[in-house]
Amino acid sequence: MEPALETIGLFKRFGGLLATNDVSLSVERGEIRGLIGPNGAGKTTLVNLVTGVHAPDAGEVKLGGQSLRGRGMHEIARLGLVRSFQVTRLFGNMTVRENLMTSFLARRDKGESDGAGQTEGMIALTKLGPLADTQAKKLSGGQRALLQMACGFVVPANCYVLDEPFAGINPVIKDAIIDMILDVNRRHRATFLVVSHEMAIIRRLCQQVTVMMEGRVAAQGTLDEVARLPEVIAGYLGKALE
Amino acid sequence: MSASFAFPPSFRRSVIAIVATVVVFAFVPLMAGSFALHVLTISFYFVILASSWNLLAGYTGQFSLAHHAFAAIGAYTSGLLGYHYGIPAWIGIPAGVVMAGLFGLILGRLVLRMRAIYLAIATWAFAETVHIYLTADYQFTRGELGLSVKPLYGNVNPLPYYFTFLALAALVLIGLRALIDSPLGYFMRAIKDDELRAKSLGIDTTRVKIAVFSISSAIAGLAGAFYGHFIVLLSPQMIDFSEMAKIVIMVVIGGFGTFLGPVIGAAPVQMVMTYLQKYGEWNLAIFALVVIVLMRFSMEGLASLFAPVWRRIWTRHAI
Ligand SMILES: Nc1ncnc2c1ncn2[C@@H]1O[C@H](COP(=O)(O)OP(=O)(O)OP(=O)(O)O)[C@@H](O)[C@H]1O
Ligand SMILES: [Mg+2]
Repeated sequence: MEPALETIGLFKRFGGLLATNDVSLSVERGEIRGLIGPNGAGKTTLVNLVTGVHAPDAGEVKLGGQSLRGRGMHEIARLGLVRSFQVTRLFGNMTVRENLMTSFLARRDKGESDGAGQTEGMIALTKLGPLADTQAKKLSGGQRALLQMACGFVVPANCYVLDEPFAGINPVIKDAIIDMILDVNRRHRATFLVVSHEMAIIRRLCQQVTVMMEGRVAAQGTLDEVARLPEVIAGYLGKALE
Repeated sequence: MSASFAFPPSFRRSVIAIVATVVVFAFVPLMAGSFALHVLTISFYFVILASSWNLLAGYTGQFSLAHHAFAAIGAYTSGLLGYHYGIPAWIGIPAGVVMAGLFGLILGRLVLRMRAIYLAIATWAFAETVHIYLTADYQFTRGELGLSVKPLYGNVNPLPYYFTFLALAALVLIGLRALIDSPLGYFMRAIKDDELRAKSLGIDTTRVKIAVFSISSAIAGLAGAFYGHFIVLLSPQMIDFSEMAKIVIMVVIGGFGTFLGPVIGAAPVQMVMTYLQKYGEWNLAIFALVVIVLMRFSMEGLASLFAPVWRRIWTRHAI
């Protein structure tokens, strides 16, 4: 079967910097893949190439076997690829409820039919009820990150690319996000590519991890396998993973 | 509308409030003289212009400076069709709406990817072009001589015009409220807040922006076309920049990006400006100053004073 998400020989250059250097990876349907690597390794750039924020200089991205070449961000999203941003992005002047509703409406033809019901369900699940009518810009960092994730789950997608969903978040909200990921993964066999520095969470969620360093794929395997590789240890400035 | 979407309760409340306001204004002619009625009629015209511009600038973030030009396109389309070809207003007005909508579609496409300041400049240049055309092609448009337009009603009684513009403003406001509460309305506000995120959710921001530009221009054309048959003499002055400035002032004083703002901002500004007319352009300068101060401190204008009252009314009698 075709991989759910595949990149083939991706290159991206920013001026003198080769941020993405021949990146090929393939994630199976229903897999939760970890993407790790030191700061500046090119993880966010890869996310941006996959989701259409940047066009690659060479190579291509395939979603369920279908090439995404030449497609705009919104088209890629409509094909069922949902992302989160490392620096949380929300509609700051809209309320929590309106943010969820907007996400629902943007993809409302994808099966679910009851917008208000889905939205309220997500508010209950995230325990954001008391803040439902608060503008998103007034939330705390953790609440914002949680809401950004919840927006992605109002209408289940085939494939999620999450850029540091756990950074700077308290443990309770972290667990809530992990539960949402596992739930969508189990119920809809959704595929995930999760960028994170949190090795404990990656170990819990992912059987396979891909390690990026200086724009390339440096290693792939289980977290324990890659953590033993000398080049990976060197890349993390000698600091062993966990 | 697909079954997946129901209007929020705010829609019904707004319609009730609009209808109630219309009922109140229906009694005004019992007390007001014909000059006051005239000023109010023009105020209703500006309620439509200000509200439709607010849809574009306040809700979607496209700060166009061509809105007065779209009103003029509507007015001149109907006026010229009548003047040259004897076409009646009931055909001329819809033609004006279509013409303004089409020009809006084209201009909306052209300015799509422009950042705020460039969009403002480009739309201003468009308005100036229309202004110059109307002045230069005087054999067709009658230029500064003025184009005479057939009045909507046979007599000079201001009353029918008052009610026409009152009803028109109410219908436009209900339409705008429906639009804002529809999925398109959510997408508009999303685009204004964060266009990249809107795209990442799957919203076709290009289409939404062009659609809003076109709809808002068509509404300006509608108001303009009726206005032409009311003032009965059109001149390129309709596209004087001060007209655009007036629209911006009304919206900012009333509340930029709020539904109520342009509605409550239009009439006071129109009235004060009418009475200050003898000071010429200076009254605009005074208003401009007020706008700068307001924009510095709060974009919510007068509407922010009403918001708590509005909430209290509806929480007590939940509808
Ligand atoms: N739009 C851009 N223009 C120029 N350089 C960029 C751009 N985006 C990223 N870079 C550069 O590309 C390199 C990779 O950055 P990227 O953000 O992809 O790393 P990352 O692995 O996500 O790092 P982190 O863990 O800190 O988030 C960095 O050197 C960064 O400065
Ligand atoms: Mg990053």
